[in-house]
Amino acid sequence: MLQKMRKILVTGSKRNSQEVVDVLYHAGTLHLEDVSNRIMEIRLDKWEPEIREEITALLVKIGGLLLTLPEVRVDKEHRNQVYDEIYWMKYPDLVGRTHAVLSAFEHSVKDLSARKSDLGLALTALNRYEKTIQKIQSLEDQLPYLEGYEVTVLLIQKEFEDVIPVIRNELMKITRNQCEMVAAGIDEDTIAAITVFNKRMSEEVHSFIFSKNVNEVRLPPEYMGMPFTEVLQHIEGRRKEILDEIREIDGELKALSASGFEEISVLRDVLVDRSREIEAFDQFGQTGHFFMVMGWVPEIYLDTTRDALFSRFGNRVVVTELSLSRDECEHAPTFYNNPPIVRPFEFLMQLVRPPKYMEIDPSPLLAFFFPLFFGLMVGDIGYGLVILIFALAVKKRFKDLDWAQSLMTIMIISAVPTIFFGYLYGEFFGDFGELMGWLHPVHLFGITWNRIEAMLPLLIFTIALGVVHVFLGLCLGIVNAVRMKNRKHLCEKVGMLTAVTGIILVIAASAELIPVILVSAGIIVLIIAFPLLIYGGGAVAGPLEIMGTVGNILSYARIMAIGMASVILAMVANTLGGSMDVALLGVLVASLIHILNIALAMFSPSLHSIRLHVVECYSKFYEGGGIPYKPFRKKPEI
Amino acid sequence: MPDFGQSLGAAIAIGLAAIGTAWAQSRIGSAGAGTIAENPDLVGPVIILEAIPETMVILGFVVAAMILML
Repeated sequence: MLQKMRKILVTGSKRNSQEVVDVLYHAGTLHLEDVSNRIMEIRLDKWEPEIREEITALLVKIGGLLLTLPEVRVDKEHRNQVYDEIYWMKYPDLVGRTHAVLSAFEHSVKDLSARKSDLGLALTALNRYEKTIQKIQSLEDQLPYLEGYEVTVLLIQKEFEDVIPVIRNELMKITRNQCEMVAAGIDEDTIAAITVFNKRMSEEVHSFIFSKNVNEVRLPPEYMGMPFTEVLQHIEGRRKEILDEIREIDGELKALSASGFEEISVLRDVLVDRSREIEAFDQFGQTGHFFMVMGWVPEIYLDTTRDALFSRFGNRVVVTELSLSRDECEHAPTFYNNPPIVRPFEFLMQLVRPPKYMEIDPSPLLAFFFPLFFGLMVGDIGYGLVILIFALAVKKRFKDLDWAQSLMTIMIISAVPTIFFGYLYGEFFGDFGELMGWLHPVHLFGITWNRIEAMLPLLIFTIALGVVHVFLGLCLGIVNAVRMKNRKHLCEKVGMLTAVTGIILVIAASAELIPVILVSAGIIVLIIAFPLLIYGGGAVAGPLEIMGTVGNILSYARIMAIGMASVILAMVANTLGGSMDVALLGVLVASLIHILNIALAMFSPSLHSIRLHVVECYSKFYEGGGIPYKPFRKKPEI
Repeated sequence: MPDFGQSLGAAIAIGLAAIGTAWAQSRIGSAGAGTIAENPDLVGPVIILEAIPETMVILGFVVAAMILML
């Protein structure tokens, strides 16, 4: 069912405009409509707030602070209190408080953050030196130690080793033969060329190396002329110092965070809320003295919305309920209002466009037939129990994931008919239960409902179910056509219902399932249906659509076919498992195939069950294209 | 026990239907993947579209079963 919607207009003095927006945002019930284009009698200006840029700037600063400060646990209740206190502040007070907090924290946090960043860079450089020196340490003996000479390390990929002599020659020229180069492979891909040259030529050498795009590791001046072992010790010592310093900074940041994180994060949230409010301002209207806000409110929230405004502003703000024309109702947003058992199935409704406000909500139909089709297809006590346990476990594990909660609730509901039909078919992990003598297919209406043997009765049953489902769709189509006052659609649906009834009568009478005399009745019904179909659907398309509807009904045979595939795979698992000489191996093989079958059983029957609704049934009545109800409010936290 | 003709008929019924379904699903699948890459919100309709041609193989299976069992 869809909730009844009411359209309201909120008007008041311009002085209260910001506060009214705050109250509406907090109440979170109003689906906004652009008021500025609607009321032609009064000239309305767009409501252009000047604070947009200021809030954005403050948010950038606060965002930077929160990125640097380590997150601390805060008491949710206390945080909500602080939020309420700050949220209801007037805008200048909010900006004042934000600036005060920023000036208290920004300088010290920035300073600490810059120091930490510098230390991080120094640590990265040290690690790089250490790595390179460790790799070239073995070459140390070959290097001359000369006063006034500089050492640099060139890293060259092995595939380009031919360039080493070229570089050496060039360096010799630049340094006038005052250069020494020792090259050796340091790993599979890289060669290190340690170059010693006269310090006076330093600039020319480095600019040459830079111009040739050679990867160079330059040791800091303090390590020049120092044996590599000593350099490594120095690096280790400096690293310890840096790490200690970083830890100290982290401690200071943590202390700052403990005193201010809560307030800063609340300020961020409030500013984000204000910023979202501003985004909606384009839809509000104002004159020199008053403002207007228009939107849709679900009937159940109408009083709450009125009360929220009245308790804050009394009669200074007026809420007017607008009378609705038929055309306006067409554009009302749709808001589901289903009982808890149906609510999870609204998730599956997201696969199609939401129903229009004037249309019938098909979710209750889905909530009834989806588990039924699923149960008919899977139909196994063991599989039903596994699906039930799996769904319960996932629901418990992923409490924050809405989609997982909805899907698993659907699985839990669907597990019930699965177990029921499992009992009817006498299936417990395929024919395992029957082989063990635990249960047998039920004998009902003169048929033993063993899925392998009762293939034809099952086929007839599923097609009959298709007739019921498609007829239900056509009946809902008739209701929709009456609601929308669409005569053509009405004739089309009635014509189709009559035509399919005629076909069924002819087939059933020909097969002598009903008195043969009814063949003529069926033909008459078909003849009556044709003018209705031609009027409703067109001269060619109308009658041709009968073929489509018959195809839709036959499509329900998939319930039997998919179920058959499932039971055969289960039997394969049991046969294969049973044929193993080692019992444990047999159990393992059978379990693996059953797990695969259960995984398929959770996916394929769900998909086909949805498809039977969307393609076969909804096409008979459902138009969709409604506007989902999106209230103006704080977005739920993810 | 079905005779050779029945078995052949059933095999043709399901085999051709399966080829048809596979061909249709391959076309829909590649187009669907492109659609989802452009707009991930369309994953629901694409899954349903992908399932539509399965009707052919399911009806093929039903015909094959009827050939063998009736």
